[in-house]
Amino acid sequence: MSGELQQLVPTMMPSAARALLKGVALPVASALVLGLVMQFVVGPAIGAYPASVALQVGISVMLAVSLNIVNGYTGQFSIGHAGFFAVGAYVGAGISYYAALSGIDPASGQQPSQALSNGAWLVWNDGQNFLFSYGEWRMILASIVGGCVAAGLGYIVGLPSLRLRGDYLAIVTLGFGEITRVLLTQTKPQIFDRDELAATHAKDWVIPPMGGATGFSDIPAYASLMWVWFFVAVMIFFAYRVKQSSTGRALLSIREDEIAARSMGVNITKYKVRAFVLAAGLAGLAGSLYAHTGQVIRPQEAGFQRSFEVIIFVVLGGMGSISGVVLAAIILSILPEALRDLSEYRLIVYALLLILMMIVRPKGLFGVREIWEFWPFTRAKKSEKKVITP
Amino acid sequence: MSDYLLDVRGIGISFGGLKACDGLTVQIPTGGLHGLIGPNGAGKTTAFNLITGVYRTQMGSVTLDGVKVDHLRPHEIAKAGLSRTFQNIRLFSELSVLDNVKLACHCRGRHTLLGTLLRTPRFVAQERAMTARAIEMLDVFSLQHLAGEQAKNLPYGDQRRLEICRALATEPKVLLLDEPAAGMNPSEKKALAQSIKLIREQFKLAVLLIEHDMGLVMDICEKITVLDHGCTIAHGTPSEIQNNPKVQEAYLGEPATA
Repeated sequence: MSGELQQLVPTMMPSAARALLKGVALPVASALVLGLVMQFVVGPAIGAYPASVALQVGISVMLAVSLNIVNGYTGQFSIGHAGFFAVGAYVGAGISYYAALSGIDPASGQQPSQALSNGAWLVWNDGQNFLFSYGEWRMILASIVGGCVAAGLGYIVGLPSLRLRGDYLAIVTLGFGEITRVLLTQTKPQIFDRDELAATHAKDWVIPPMGGATGFSDIPAYASLMWVWFFVAVMIFFAYRVKQSSTGRALLSIREDEIAARSMGVNITKYKVRAFVLAAGLAGLAGSLYAHTGQVIRPQEAGFQRSFEVIIFVVLGGMGSISGVVLAAIILSILPEALRDLSEYRLIVYALLLILMMIVRPKGLFGVREIWEFWPFTRAKKSEKKVITP
Repeated sequence: MSDYLLDVRGIGISFGGLKACDGLTVQIPTGGLHGLIGPNGAGKTTAFNLITGVYRTQMGSVTLDGVKVDHLRPHEIAKAGLSRTFQNIRLFSELSVLDNVKLACHCRGRHTLLGTLLRTPRFVAQERAMTARAIEMLDVFSLQHLAGEQAKNLPYGDQRRLEICRALATEPKVLLLDEPAAGMNPSEKKALAQSIKLIREQFKLAVLLIEHDMGLVMDICEKITVLDHGCTIAHGTPSEIQNNPKVQEAYLGEPATA
């Protein structure tokens, strides 16, 4: 009976529905599970301060996974990744903050911190909110817009990468990050008053009021552990699917040998730009979520310090290895906190660990491979295969 | 319209004052096997780079199956049906053997970002078809048992064969082989000559071959073009080439005058 049923199910379900289930529902559902577990199990278990660290760890993982697409898969050395991150952060924060301040949407009166402490999740439609609180939906929308703007900039930065390689590309991307930082310091002071905001004209927004060098504050803090880790999981799914596809192979082939890739029919121009756009978009999304974690965002977010931090994640994790990069980002983000007891010595310990790591595993934690390729049984399978065939 | 599948007419390029290739003409009919020989630095590989679009030709034209391809970019030329191997092996060394071949199937597919991210049925079907085709191609070269291995771990001879396999996976009309026998021992060379003949028949393509091993070239090529210092010095059947005094001079130096 049950056997028959099992056979029936796939035939009853149209193939399109099955594809939708596997293609969209599976990653979204598993990401949701991770998010909920982080929010309701891990978060309460580790306490308030570690939970706030866990938020930043999630942001680091997103940045590492996104930079891995350019530096890892495609082998283009970009050191301006924080620029895209900051652009996403400012765009997302701007939308959320000014939408809330202007009162153009139902969530404006809502205190984000209060909404969070009340458990804003799974609020069914009560007229104002649907499933999640209105502010959370707005944050997601703002983040997607932030990601899209960053992706557009990624396209612009990706274009010179077609002509430049190695050090020269690195300089261009570094320049992009610094230009972003300087431009952000030139923005006008933030508007805190609703009436003042209502009095602005379109021309006042030519140079947006994003706080300049003092930073942009009071951003609604909707990015809870659940949302950050939900997007972490979604991004890992994205990155993995890209790697395991014809697009991913094309990117990897560009890293391995551009001339051979071209001769085999890969449009390297198109794929380099694709890599930049995708990585920038994901970084922008991460930036917007970061802005919503209750931080004051400053132009320094675009500076090279954060860019280098992310590069270290990617290099130590192994260029191109998703699991390696994720692990490196988690470890290296927690490490400074764990070494807090050593106070002023912790930077020395951190540096020593990095040096040690490069000596022991010069190709990064896992090289280009993934963690599961090191599991004993996968190895056994491989060698078994070798023996059978002459 | 020319009668030739690959019709290269008077192509050339100069690097500064050096004419690396000057007015090369090579015409290969469908199923033809053409040799391109010459001493070191004669411009053979430059000619390949011109034909495959790595360098842009400054004169002349390249026509493939009636389509002018000399203004196209390398990946477009590959799509038009011209594939090559490299003198110094250029495999994607960190990728698996299977992925090397699958990548070569790339230019025959459509790759949308949305399809990749959402794993649409069309995307899944295309990936499956690529894998199947890649395994089929590896089978032809009896490399299928190495499919999961990283390309860099293969022995030299297998790497050479994998390169040919990869080039064939792009479904070319014309295959350009750049010194496929370099570094091979006599028995491997013999096997290579056999497989070149075989793939020409099986895949119904024309082959342009650069090779230093005269035995191999004379054995399998129908026509041979000899280059020296970028210029074509001889053109003809193997026996004509062997008796050509200019060729002997290029290879062995001027005959001693009595």
